[in-house]
Amino acid sequence: MKKSLTFCAALLCAPLAAPLQAGVPEALSAHILPGFAGFAQAAETLAGAAQADCTAGSLQDAWMHAFDQWNAVADIHIGPSETGALPVAFWPDSRGFTPKTLQRMISGEEEIGLDPVAYGDVSIAARGLYPLEFMLYDPEFAGYEKGSYSCTLVQTMTRDLARQAAALDAGWEGQFANVLRTAGQEGNATYMGEDEAVRALYTQILTGLEFTADTRLGRPLGTFERPRPTRAEAWRSGRSLRNVLLDSKGAYDMAAALADWELPKSKEALDRLFELAERVEDPSFQTVDDPSERLHVEILQQQVRALSDALELEIGLRLGIQPGFNSGDGD
Amino acid sequence: MKFLTTSALALCIAAPALAGTDKAAVVETYANIAQAGYEDSLSTAKALKDAVAALIAAPSEDTLAGAREAWLAARNPYQQTEVFRFGNPIVDEWEGKVNAWPLDEGLIDYVDESYGGASDENPFAASNVIANPTLELAGQEVDATLITPELIADTLNEADGIETNVARGYHAIEFLLWGQDLNGTEPGAGERPYTDYVVGDECTGGNCDRRAAYLTSVTQLLVSDLEEMAANWAEDGAAREEVSANADAGIVAMLTGMGSLSYGEQAGERMRLGLMLNDPEEEHDCFSDNTHNSHFYDGKGIQNVYLGSYTRVDGSTVEGPSLSDLVSETSPELDAEMKGKLDATMTALGAIKTAAEEEGFAYDQMLEAGNEKGEALIMGGVNGLIDQTRTIERIVTTLELDNLEFEGSDSLDNPNAVFQ
Repeated sequence: MKKSLTFCAALLCAPLAAPLQAGVPEALSAHILPGFAGFAQAAETLAGAAQADCTAGSLQDAWMHAFDQWNAVADIHIGPSETGALPVAFWPDSRGFTPKTLQRMISGEEEIGLDPVAYGDVSIAARGLYPLEFMLYDPEFAGYEKGSYSCTLVQTMTRDLARQAAALDAGWEGQFANVLRTAGQEGNATYMGEDEAVRALYTQILTGLEFTADTRLGRPLGTFERPRPTRAEAWRSGRSLRNVLLDSKGAYDMAAALADWELPKSKEALDRLFELAERVEDPSFQTVDDPSERLHVEILQQQVRALSDALELEIGLRLGIQPGFNSGDGD
Repeated sequence: MKFLTTSALALCIAAPALAGTDKAAVVETYANIAQAGYEDSLSTAKALKDAVAALIAAPSEDTLAGAREAWLAARNPYQQTEVFRFGNPIVDEWEGKVNAWPLDEGLIDYVDESYGGASDENPFAASNVIANPTLELAGQEVDATLITPELIADTLNEADGIETNVARGYHAIEFLLWGQDLNGTEPGAGERPYTDYVVGDECTGGNCDRRAAYLTSVTQLLVSDLEEMAANWAEDGAAREEVSANADAGIVAMLTGMGSLSYGEQAGERMRLGLMLNDPEEEHDCFSDNTHNSHFYDGKGIQNVYLGSYTRVDGSTVEGPSLSDLVSETSPELDAEMKGKLDATMTALGAIKTAAEEEGFAYDQMLEAGNEKGEALIMGGVNGLIDQTRTIERIVTTLELDNLEFEGSDSLDNPNAVFQ
């Protein structure tokens, strides 16, 4: 009861006099659609680069750039991304499916690894950005030479990724953007009202930040007695911290586009997050067993939560909405 | 959006006067169903314990089959209680003891070579307690000479804080009754022989006495865990009291359980992820090939909560004022939408069950890469579950209970806390 009473009380305090608009079209045009277009372009560039030279060293920059682009939209899990996000970014992999599947494919030189079209049927453990990270950065995988099975496999994987990225881009641009824009109109079976579309986007924002705090940061932190550095996201390429920052920025950017009012507290929280990140010494979180470094990462985690709280205040409370169910509700 | 906010305000003020169906009575039906579900889970677990005792006393094809049947029978009522997990912290904190999954079964007993050994994530994935009276776990020497419920509960389960070290619960028992399913995405379940429990020269798999001790202990643990939860829902039980303390909060707990199980857990973690990994070990009841039932009865449990009706294992019915009654007072259309979507999900989950039971198309075969028929069946269930989640959200809004997030959100209670 405490919570629902507070909820009513909060509503009474909300600035009801001002007409509240939230911009689903703006969130689409300023953030989501350019995000998927940018990722599609970067993935295509990566695939082209792999065609020219498949070796790990020559592809790392293009892979990094593709991941940067992905960060902007990584935590969106509705529409085409409901099922389409996982094959691009299957993580965390708590049972080690990715290295296991790659090892199996490479040692058996499985034919499907040579066919970019058929590759769409392969387990998501061997598709997308994370298995490519193994191929490009892990010493056990990255030493392959031109002409080898692994070389062709990397070409196949990057081509498959580019296809996925293009399909996501097309699915958003061509169909789902319109489903969101026409929320509440006749014939829209997904969103019965504009409020449902707003809530859906708002849920993506908060869920993404929760995932960053609890999983991207929480997994490597483990417990004080038992930190788990190798559970960090993308630690092999050293971009664990970068993901935390860019994913958080993606959440903020989408929120800023969704709200057609200022979000000063949220902006301040995001800026502070970037400042605090400078104290972290190892961007791959591999030294979280050192107490002072651990503290830096814990502070970062608190700050991601502070950003989320600020967005709840500046958007959720103002609109009188709460996030809906999300794909991370399971265990 | 202005409409949403102002109408919410109006309802906040007017809500008490609108109610016809007594919310407290709706929550009471819910608690009664939970109680009956855990009691049924307990009685069928006791039958499993008896069947296990018969297997250990006289291992044979028949007694092994009897124990397996008892396990399968025990799963159906339990799966219908999974909807009580989310939204009831007492259940959620306890649930890992009985239904944790997936597991690195090599911690418990012998496994096939293809299983591999220790992994990056779990150095104890192949520790094989049954074969090793002493072993090292997380830097500690463990004396496992005697396999007892205490050893399993306090030392082995979640050893070193690793979630896949599942040493107890339904799936550990399932592994000990069926063994690994080595058929991949081909037909067939685990084929553990009854001789794994024969003490003496005919013993297969080694250490049959220790295996028997493990199975006996872990089944005993399941019974005591379920006793604990059945008591929590009985009159004056802690879980019943907590959910009944406030009728609005109770309704929110009901809807939270329905939505979280539908979307994040069942559609996401259990069904879609397994399909996309094409991994037969990613099916929920992977040793016994019972996943079609486990998904079906999960879905059934969600429907039970909405309709306020549960059919017990003895065929009797527990029912009373329901969420459906409550919703139809405010919006008959929304009630019809919810019922229709729950029906659609049950039809989709039923199709998976029928394919598995009547066409010999087992769940792990459906997971095979490129198996379009299997993919269509599983995605039918996934899509139904996702679709019904949207309507559950709609109900939350319509009943003006938009406060689904139970945990981690201090800002609404204390807005200033954020900026301190």
